[in-house]
Amino acid sequence: MNPFTALETIIQRPELLAAGERPAGLGRAGLLGYFAGTLGLFVFLRMFSAVPPGIMSFSVVLTLVLALNYFAASSVHLFMDFTGAKGSAARLFLAFGCTDYFLALLVPAAFFAKLQFLSAFLWFTICFLVMVYARVRLVRRLYPVSVNKALLSLCLPYAGLGAVCFTVFVYSIAWMVWLII
Amino acid sequence: MEEQNNSGAANPEAQPPAAQPAPAAPVPVPAAAKPGTALWLKIIAGLYALSLVAAFFVINKADAARKAKPGDMDLSKLTSLGAAKKDAVAVIPLYGAISQGASSRSWERGSQQIAKRIKTLAAKKEVKAIVLDINSPGGTVGAVQEIYSAILKAKAETKKPFIARFGEVSASGGYYVAAACDQIMSHPGTITGSIGVIFSVGNFEGLMKKVGYRSEVIKSGKFKDIGSPSREMTAEEHKLLQAMIDDSYDQFVKAVSDGRKMPVDQVKVLADGRIYTGRQAKELKLVDSLGDLQDAIDKAGELGGLGKNPRVLTDSDPFENFLSLLDTKLSFFGSKSVTETLEIAPSLEYRWYGR
Repeated sequence: MNPFTALETIIQRPELLAAGERPAGLGRAGLLGYFAGTLGLFVFLRMFSAVPPGIMSFSVVLTLVLALNYFAASSVHLFMDFTGAKGSAARLFLAFGCTDYFLALLVPAAFFAKLQFLSAFLWFTICFLVMVYARVRLVRRLYPVSVNKALLSLCLPYAGLGAVCFTVFVYSIAWMVWLII
Repeated sequence: MEEQNNSGAANPEAQPPAAQPAPAAPVPVPAAAKPGTALWLKIIAGLYALSLVAAFFVINKADAARKAKPGDMDLSKLTSLGAAKKDAVAVIPLYGAISQGASSRSWERGSQQIAKRIKTLAAKKEVKAIVLDINSPGGTVGAVQEIYSAILKAKAETKKPFIARFGEVSASGGYYVAAACDQIMSHPGTITGSIGVIFSVGNFEGLMKKVGYRSEVIKSGKFKDIGSPSREMTAEEHKLLQAMIDDSYDQFVKAVSDGRKMPVDQVKVLADGRIYTGRQAKELKLVDSLGDLQDAIDKAGELGGLGKNPRVLTDSDPFENFLSLLDTKLSFFGSKSVTETLEIAPSLEYRWYGR
């Protein structure tokens, strides 16, 4: 099944994500979503000279996006598992890929931003929020949970990373003080 | 499909005879894919591809314009402005006794690290002159000569001026190092001079006898334990060490003679190990001028073509400072330095022990 058909099926019948068998073509559609979304993000950043040019640079961004989404999907799945909601982590990861298609909107958004129609940051925020909204919807399809719980689970990886960074920062300061005194 | 099967199994009695399927039975059928969705997806994909092509075109144009910019603009004024702002005088501190570091760690202040700093800073384009800020009573012969040699090499390779600035003390090896510089500046009250070599060794023979300690030495030659603190020095050993000291002394005198452009005989008159104040040293032409660190930096700026009050570049590397701090903290609260002090062996030194 080509990714278009798979995507069409997911849009029209999202309940199939939670079906016994994985919807055909979900893998390809999800991975293509990551690629298209990252390409959109990369082109957006390139238009504002925020990232270096080249295939290597794009590969680094793609790897980072995949790694972050892998971490996010696993954290969300773990949280759901702990709270008694059953679902598939692999499908969640691929579903996240399908939501990344929204990042492709960043390419035309970059043109609008360049034309001074809303700032680049605002465009990025809009696309990001649309993506988060789509993710909440898909998480609710995959796991039988409320909107709040789905939102909480999506924030969890970011909160975890933030907590780790904050702890490292505080400990570094304490360590520096110990070094100097 | 499951729902269809289940609904069929739930009402077996409602099933019509096999030959006649019930036309009115409600059978949930999966919603047929709307043909419009696929079309919209294809249109969106097409627009995405189009916007990508447009974006690549814009990015390429912008990159090309950015690359072409330096060639199109007359940057001569900007370049000279940038260069004037960037050029600097480097200041290298040389504090304390000079010795070879105990390790090759870049943050240690051994002679090899100082020699490396001299080489690195002299090689930098923006550095136009170098000030050696010396506050040292000297140190071991090898370590002092390593720094001296690094200065001579840097001067020969880069033709950059070196200014030695004396702080509180710059005697013996501290002066040896300064002799390699083009100019020497000191405070009027700086303690300097002490041109000479020293080799000292303690004799613990009596103490060892008292505590009942005796060391057995098995050696391959009669001079193998020369300078041993556990016995009296023999006349032969004394003679041999004196010859070594005389040779090192000649090297010192030659270095001063070459550096200060003074005849060897004149240097020898001054080089009996005595110390001088900065003002006395100036009168004896061992020092060029009197002044403080800022005066030395100004002088270096003038010699380097930067004028007075030039930008100063210190050789301190924040990362190395951090590692040094770490090393100090992790060396068991100073026990390392105690061990190092106890491990000191007698050696030939260009050093003044008056401090």
